[in-house]
Amino acid sequence: MKLLAKYNRVNILATSIVFMIGGVCYYFILHLVLIKQLDKDLRVEEQEIIDYVMVHNSLPDSADYNDQQVAFEQVAEAAKRKFGSFDILKKKDDEYITIRRLMFPVNISGVNYKVSVSKSQQETEDLIQLIVSITLAMVILLLMVLFIINRFVLNKLWLPFNNTLKQLRQFNLQSKKNLELNDSGINEFKELNKAVKVMSSQVLKDYESLKSFTENASHEIQTPLAVINSKLELLMQSENFTEQQMNGVETIYDEIRRLSRLNQSLLLLTKIDNHQFRETEEVDLARIIVKQLNNYEELIAAKQITLTQNISETPPVLMNETLAGVLITNLITNAIKHNIDHGSIEVVLKENRLSVSNSGSELSCRPEELFERFKKDTHQTESLGLGLSIVKKICEQYNFKVSYSFINGIHTLSILFP
Amino acid sequence: MKILIIEDEKALSESIATYLKGQDYICEIATDFNSAIEKTELYDYDCILLDITLPGGSGLSVLKELRANNKMDGVLIISAKNSIDDKVAGLTLGADDYLPKPFHLSELNARIGAIIRRKRFGGSSIIRFNDISIDTQAKVAAVNNTGLDLTRKEYELLLYFISNKRKVISKTAIAEHLWGDEMSGNLDFIYTHIKNLRKKLVEAGEADYIKTVYGMGYKFTD
Repeated sequence: MKLLAKYNRVNILATSIVFMIGGVCYYFILHLVLIKQLDKDLRVEEQEIIDYVMVHNSLPDSADYNDQQVAFEQVAEAAKRKFGSFDILKKKDDEYITIRRLMFPVNISGVNYKVSVSKSQQETEDLIQLIVSITLAMVILLLMVLFIINRFVLNKLWLPFNNTLKQLRQFNLQSKKNLELNDSGINEFKELNKAVKVMSSQVLKDYESLKSFTENASHEIQTPLAVINSKLELLMQSENFTEQQMNGVETIYDEIRRLSRLNQSLLLLTKIDNHQFRETEEVDLARIIVKQLNNYEELIAAKQITLTQNISETPPVLMNETLAGVLITNLITNAIKHNIDHGSIEVVLKENRLSVSNSGSELSCRPEELFERFKKDTHQTESLGLGLSIVKKICEQYNFKVSYSFINGIHTLSILFP
Repeated sequence: MKILIIEDEKALSESIATYLKGQDYICEIATDFNSAIEKTELYDYDCILLDITLPGGSGLSVLKELRANNKMDGVLIISAKNSIDDKVAGLTLGADDYLPKPFHLSELNARIGAIIRRKRFGGSSIIRFNDISIDTQAKVAAVNNTGLDLTRKEYELLLYFISNKRKVISKTAIAEHLWGDEMSGNLDFIYTHIKNLRKKLVEAGEADYIKTVYGMGYKFTD
């Protein structure tokens, strides 16, 4: 639920309840005041009658006007003075009207009379009704105005917040751009913007330092590797090694190369992750595939693998040229490395689909794990287990769909270009 | 021929110098920015090996300074930063080649040879080893002026061997030179290539120069 809707609901409910309670109180208070006024009129009338009796020592004429009736009744005992409201049937219209009546005793020459002075309450009721109606109308008007104000003014008030939200949504670590937040002049939003700014610049800083740490660590490893590698190569020139020593040197040499390839692959993954291959161009995949297949033809021949090429002219793919090379090379070397002697490789490039198939034994890991880092076939101890992770990473970078299937002893890796 | 090695890692620059001295190069070493500038201003070199990260300044500044002074020494950048930006920047500033660390000394040596040939002889250079001659511009090899029918990889292999003559070259170095460093694992297929090359040389009347060094690799020697 939107904050505005929630606020409106609470606001209007509370306002309505307050107005309802207020209205009821208002009604009763108004009623009370008007009745008091009526009673005051009746007391004036009572005083007039008592004055008349004192002067004339007789009862005045009973009177019956529209708004006021005076009646006398002889009673045995002096009546008690009291006010009261009654509903009586009005003969003329055959409907009930409410009257206010004051009864009081008078004594004329020892005879007790009960005097009742009545006034119609109808006008008072009408007045109350009118006042209540006007008040109700005002309340409804007020609620409507409140609703409209909430809707438009609050929307405007929340504008800076929505701006901040928009900026946050577009916030991208790669662009290295700090957030540009406008000053709204409202303290709460100022605080929010300040917190968001501090946080985002901290995130940017941390990200940068993490990035440079990963890169620097990889680079720093290259130099000692280079030293070890060069020293070993010099050592290899020595002519008085025993067979055992030679084997030892070779093993160390191979492992150093492995370590450096591992380091380079991890560095490459980090760089792709960091979007450091920003330049894109129209890449002719067919050309790269043909070039790489030529480059590896001796390796394919060495394993006596039958190569089938089905490469058609396709529209160029928009990506980084270096990454395109890495992608194709990884797919092809993968198909060679994990192949069997006298096996087969089929490379198909058609429209927006590239698939590389190769014969080979079944995977020892689950297919889903194939693209994970350091997942490799248990038979292939020499493999780094990073080649397909790099393939997947590159595909993710450009929203290519990469899939794997294994049917009838043939592994197929397919890439679907958008 | 004179080579200047600008590299702050002493152990590495000494290894390079030792290897290159065996290939009849005269090597000098500069370990920081200032001595690099000093040496490049005073002397001419056939090839300069240039590390990018140096104490006191960037290797790229050395290169800039060099080219600003109209010095046309060959420059091979050797950098631990295998970054495309550095590579592009270096080549734009007039470097001749770029080799990321770690590298094989045999590969470094082959690249230096290529740069010197290009600089000195305008690319048209004949490399000789006894009766074998390689025309690096036409990319053909011959024995006693009779052309050898070599595949592209066999030609590259022969050139690599002769560039690193009398040195033990590891199988990995050969594989990476010929196919790039993507190829790992079993390197037995190299044997087939060596065998074919050896056969073609012997058939052309040469001695068997390619010696197998057990457990390590091969050596091209007479």
